[in-house]
Amino acid sequence: MTVRTKPPASRKATALPKARRTVPGLIGAVSIAATVGWIVLGGILAEAGVRAGWWEPDVLPAPSEILPVTAELLRSPDFAPDALRTLQELVFSCLFGVAAGLIVGVGFWKAPGVGRVFEPYLVSFYAVPLVLFYPVSIVLIGINQWSVITLASIMTAVPVVLNTWMGLRSVPPVYLRLAASIRCSPAQTLFRVAMPAAAPYVFAGVRLGVVYALIGTIAMEFTTAQAGLGYQIRYLYESFDAVGMYAYIVVVLGASVLLTAVLEGAERLLLRRRTVR
Amino acid sequence: MTGISIHELGVAFSAKDGRVIAVDGVTQEVPERGFVSIVGPSGCGKSTLLSVIAGLYAPTSGHVEVGGRRVTGPDRAVGVMFQEDSTLPWKTVLENVRFPLQVAKVPKSEQLTRAQQAIDLVGLGGFERRHPAELSGGMRQRVALARTLAMRPSVMLMDEPFAALDQQTRLLLGAEVLRIWRETHQTVLFVTHDISEAILLSQQVWVMSYRPGRIIDVVDVDLPEDRDASVVATPAFNALQNRVWEVLQAESMRGFAQENAVPASGVPAS
Repeated sequence: MTVRTKPPASRKATALPKARRTVPGLIGAVSIAATVGWIVLGGILAEAGVRAGWWEPDVLPAPSEILPVTAELLRSPDFAPDALRTLQELVFSCLFGVAAGLIVGVGFWKAPGVGRVFEPYLVSFYAVPLVLFYPVSIVLIGINQWSVITLASIMTAVPVVLNTWMGLRSVPPVYLRLAASIRCSPAQTLFRVAMPAAAPYVFAGVRLGVVYALIGTIAMEFTTAQAGLGYQIRYLYESFDAVGMYAYIVVVLGASVLLTAVLEGAERLLLRRRTVR
Repeated sequence: MTGISIHELGVAFSAKDGRVIAVDGVTQEVPERGFVSIVGPSGCGKSTLLSVIAGLYAPTSGHVEVGGRRVTGPDRAVGVMFQEDSTLPWKTVLENVRFPLQVAKVPKSEQLTRAQQAIDLVGLGGFERRHPAELSGGMRQRVALARTLAMRPSVMLMDEPFAALDQQTRLLLGAEVLRIWRETHQTVLFVTHDISEAILLSQQVWVMSYRPGRIIDVVDVDLPEDRDASVVATPAFNALQNRVWEVLQAESMRGFAQENAVPASGVPAS
């Protein structure tokens, strides 16, 4: 006997009127304009604050002072090695973390018993600041990029595992019966039916994971490292070079905004024309 | 030889309140190119019976033969249509209909012609590039029907395919199924809880009892082959409907009483 679940209510919606399809593009434009507006407003406030003497320039230098230094920094030959180091750590952690997360998530789905045993630990991983294990990682691996990559990969993998598993569990059972009835192989069932159906969840997990990788990488470099953007921020902070430090912070913020935008664009492209569940 | 023969079939499974016998001692035959409907109260084993014939569920006892061959698993010559929306939302109408053909490794050009034929047959021409989210529930079931037809199965198993739709759409789609069946002449086994739908569509109606699920009556529908929805108003149709309803009424009340007596009565099977 098969357990039946009702299709989600959203899937019952009839054809959307044509006019509504243009709205998402408009919303996108508005949201970009709003983001730029907030950044500009923040910059103006920061500038005004320093000039009016609300705080010392050492605390938060004027943007008019930081931005030229940022521009100079981007051109200087000293910048590339640190940026590349951080980029490399980020790319490797994302690749390893997402790959491991997908494999473990699919494994949990295939073996629900195993999944149920490990789920509580994984969920509690969310609450544990994994960065705390960085010293352990250093002791085991050494002060190099691999100790950062190892821990950042784990941080990335956790949300990917949980979301992949949850996404696969919420695949409508009828899709799997369909796959069985047309004699899909286990691989076809996974890659052509189950994973696409779980994609909205999986992608949400990947987005979280990538952001965790960025946070983890910068934080660990900040703590102990010989290179990287996080290391530079720490170094300039300890040398009382506020302007130089903020120049690096601007770079990191810019990179994270860019990363978020790219991920969101990719998600829209991947899930376009599909109902939002 | 693509009829369906069911031999002493029994299906039992364990539920919260003990062992449930969903199908018990069913021995029946669907002739080749026949159209048979199963009606029964909700919770009787009609969907389970269909799943077993489709090879999606193993019986506890007895066996099923399709086209003289014993069913041991899903068969591409047996098309299944489900009650729930089974269109894949990330695929267009054309991609949905093509999907089983891709899985079956049918050559690409043939995939496209067969998919297109099936789409035209169910009246979805012009919607090939739409996604399911842009279609109504009735149109999505048409997509599922086209997908099943594109496989050119010799046997079609339909598990309350229009139950989630409104009455008008259900009547229209029923008429479509009948029209298509007259063109293709597959063997069809159609599960429904709607007596008039069953009589309108099929040549024979099996009435199934509430647990344990047995076939308690077999009614031959001697209405004209080329009937349409207007037949509903004839005395002959009424007589058939009354006959089925009489048998079913007692069963439905028994099922209702039983389900309300035991609140946690296992798996609800539409």
